[in-house]
Amino acid sequence: MDANAAAAADAKHHRSPSAGRYVAVWVALLVLTATTYLTARVDLGGSWNLVVALVIAAVKASLVVLFFMHLWDSRGTNRLVFLVSVFFVILLIAGVVGDMATRFPLARPPEATGLTGAGEEPEGPGRDPAHGAQNQRVR
Amino acid sequence: MEARLAHHFRAIETQRHAERLGMWLFLATEVLLFAGLFCGYTLYRYLYPETFKLASAHLDVFLGTVNTVVLISSSLTVALAHHFAHRDRSRMAGVLLFVSVLAGLAFLGVKAVEYTHKFEEGLLPGRYFHAEGLTAPGASMFFTVYFLTTGLHAFHVVVGMGVLVWIGVRAWRGEFHANHSMPVELGGLYWHLVDLVWIFLYPLLYLV
Repeated sequence: MDANAAAAADAKHHRSPSAGRYVAVWVALLVLTATTYLTARVDLGGSWNLVVALVIAAVKASLVVLFFMHLWDSRGTNRLVFLVSVFFVILLIAGVVGDMATRFPLARPPEATGLTGAGEEPEGPGRDPAHGAQNQRVR
Repeated sequence: MEARLAHHFRAIETQRHAERLGMWLFLATEVLLFAGLFCGYTLYRYLYPETFKLASAHLDVFLGTVNTVVLISSSLTVALAHHFAHRDRSRMAGVLLFVSVLAGLAFLGVKAVEYTHKFEEGLLPGRYFHAEGLTAPGASMFFTVYFLTTGLHAFHVVVGMGVLVWIGVRAWRGEFHANHSMPVELGGLYWHLVDLVWIFLYPLLYLV
């Protein structure tokens, strides 16, 4: 390698992340995996277990996307493409759940216990907007 | 060997930008492919919340957790492979890529053990479901979703391993250096996406 190439390579080293950062992200991911495993063993009441699990999964996913997949140092268009795909995932899930939540009860599969009456706020639709909103916030 | 500039690009930087953007567009379609299954999961969990709790208890949380750790660690080795390829240490990158492939094999091995248990207990999708101890309505749907999501994911692990072997061999032969590491980077992106899907599957299937 001649001097110019060495200088160019050196400049790149300063811009690209160090190996230590990858290892730190890996440790964080392992800690979060242990956290989600442990919190799942405790009954937090209501749908809080699901909320906590999804928040932790979203944090883990963000770490992978930002650091392992380099979106942290990446150009705007790559970020835009990924965020748009996530947006459409949320749109799809929110639309389908919204449809199911507002249906006439007999139009649902037999013995579905998730929703026992379209008008009942606390048991029925009340539960899922929380779930949907969570999805929007965390994904 | 230098990175080759295709004639329709003005500069190598433009070409690199296009290569990355193309990969991200592909990954976006992958995200949407899995979105359909995640949507099905959400729907049936919404309809049968109690059953999903009961059915999830039939999965082996220990094996699921082991696989999570295996996959996360393989993501680290892939990220490090790109790191070393970019620093003119192609052979080191090759070694790390082969370690990642071994992790992928371990993941599939654990998955095979889990599937075997499910087959023996009759915890199968749709109308093939015939488990003795689990008769709650909607239980077959949990296992339909389980096999479809983990099956599609496992298929992606297999494809990803193929990609890593291909790039790993090239890395071992010393092809990559600071000015030519794009294949390692893009193959790595695919592997990280596989990891990403599992990060959501693990709590949704095993930790209901």
